[in-house]
Amino acid sequence: MRFITILIKITLLWNCLFHELSAQSVNEFPKKTDKLFEKVALYEKLMLGNHWNEGAIMQHVIFPPAGLNRPIVGSQADCLDPTSEMLVALSFKYSITKDPQVKLLADKIFEAIEKLEKVTGVSGLFARSFNQTDKALWHEKTLWYHEWHASTSMPGYRWLGDISVDKYTSILYGVSTYWELCADQEKRNRAEALIDRFITKVMDDNFKLTDLDGKMTLWGNLCPDLPHQPLNSLLMLSGLKVAFHMTGKDKYNLAYKMLIEKYHYDDHQLASKVLFPEEWRNVGDDYHAARAFYMIMRLEKDHSLLNKYRMNLNRHWFDWKSMDMSWESSPWFPMVYHVLTGEDVSTNERKMVWKNMWGFERTKKAFEIPNEDGSFKIVESEEEGTAAALIRNYWFGRYYGLIHPSW
Amino acid sequence: MVKMKISLLFLFLSVIFVSAQSYAQDNIQTIPPEGMVYVPAGVFIMGSEIGDHDEKPQHLTSTSAFFIHKYEISIKEYLEFDPSFKYSKGQLGNAVIVNWEQANNYCKSNGARLPTEKEWEKAARGTDGRLFPWGNTFNESFVAWDYNESRGGSIAKPASPYGCYDMAGSVWEWTADWYKPYPGNIKLIEEYGEKYKVMRGGSNFNNWSFYTTSHRYYLDPKEISRYPVGFRCVKDL
Repeated sequence: MRFITILIKITLLWNCLFHELSAQSVNEFPKKTDKLFEKVALYEKLMLGNHWNEGAIMQHVIFPPAGLNRPIVGSQADCLDPTSEMLVALSFKYSITKDPQVKLLADKIFEAIEKLEKVTGVSGLFARSFNQTDKALWHEKTLWYHEWHASTSMPGYRWLGDISVDKYTSILYGVSTYWELCADQEKRNRAEALIDRFITKVMDDNFKLTDLDGKMTLWGNLCPDLPHQPLNSLLMLSGLKVAFHMTGKDKYNLAYKMLIEKYHYDDHQLASKVLFPEEWRNVGDDYHAARAFYMIMRLEKDHSLLNKYRMNLNRHWFDWKSMDMSWESSPWFPMVYHVLTGEDVSTNERKMVWKNMWGFERTKKAFEIPNEDGSFKIVESEEEGTAAALIRNYWFGRYYGLIHPSW
Repeated sequence: MVKMKISLLFLFLSVIFVSAQSYAQDNIQTIPPEGMVYVPAGVFIMGSEIGDHDEKPQHLTSTSAFFIHKYEISIKEYLEFDPSFKYSKGQLGNAVIVNWEQANNYCKSNGARLPTEKEWEKAARGTDGRLFPWGNTFNESFVAWDYNESRGGSIAKPASPYGCYDMAGSVWEWTADWYKPYPGNIKLIEEYGEKYKVMRGGSNFNNWSFYTTSHRYYLDPKEISRYPVGFRCVKDL
């Protein structure tokens, strides 16, 4: 077993670091009856092999003939989520195993997040995703909004703009965890500089995420002068807290205080969780809130503010404690609640959920691919989703003692 | 004396006749066609100082009087114009999602046209420069979250000052105008010109500030990608 694991690691590293992978290079899938650690090991292999795009992790890949021999065709709007999740997963894994090969992979993923900024050519402006390609790919027109740009700072690359508050959270969560648990001093300095540029730009734009055209993005509103979702108040406060913690720059602390004292973000965030009507409950928003809670509640020392974040967390827990755990990140919510409150919520039922966590199956689908004349052709191909959240859940649970290594 | 009384009576009747005629004429002009509301001529506050750079500067401008649809055009209404339009089952009452040409052609075929940006914004905010069609305070329950919500939805939505619905949320709405800077706007961007048309009102999926009456967004008139964009028409008096 140990020999196989080492062999997998060597193969993976070789592929990731020295070769451009073909999209379907990894084809071994776990079985539902496998132990949790075996499932995670195989999904790691699948994600790092088939979804690796120069260090960025693709949320969705489409294989030939609809896709290319590199994993750069698929929905890419949410790539920052699995990229961040894998960075967090490897950071926790490194802090447990101290395996230098794990750190090397984490470093590569961090560098891909740096590249997401570099490719835009604007300090502090991040792309959702990038592709090394000279021409527009077919999925750019059909799988998301028209937000692809040819890079001027990295010729031969195209990047997807219109970054949103959930990707903002992914950057902060991924980079700050890597900074805390995995990065060496040189990388820590780079991580601090990256977060500094990112949050400085957000502040300079009056707490908005703006795009290349200077306009606020479709989901980029954290602005005190404009009506915004209560969740966004929580996300902005957590971002400033992390930026201050990492850089030590007082301007972030002052901005944090200003948003609380003048604009009452601490009160506004209380209503982040919509509980009723029940059909308005949104597990996607819960995920952004959970990451923000994890960042801000471990750093905030003011009891009054901590109480307010706890009130908000409790409103989430009202739903989380009995929610369906089939979505990729929902098994993680009780872990976060457990870690932040110290309340043992690892019931036998939840342990079973954690033991049975699952990733994705490779599926087949017919894709409508646009031709140059405006017509479409139908091409059937295999595709894969992401298991990055599962891998993150696992290593997070291992780190905090909620998941036993033997499971 | 009798002659004088007759003259006074004649004068009195004349005044009544002229007044009645004028009153009737005014009413004929301002009674909107079915499904539309009347927006009077005059000055209003356009733009915003707190929104995106392209909403600046806030300024006074005016429109002539016009009629505008109370609701966005639905799929059912659009099918009367284009029976070949493809839609999902059970969505007949939803606002239709179309490109600019389709919207423009629909309006033309009904003796109408797409609203200019000025007309759209005036219909949405009236003359007092309000942030939202219903006033200055944001309320989530006033936004049309579904494309068909205000027509038979369970939560009543307030109308704009002139009686238009769903101008915040639901689908974006096409205007007739190319995306260009307002007079006095000094920040030039390459998207300005005659490449993109302006859409207004935000959609139910985007951030809250897009529901402000002054928010502008630009889109390729031919390829709408995944933007949910519909329209309503105006008619001149």
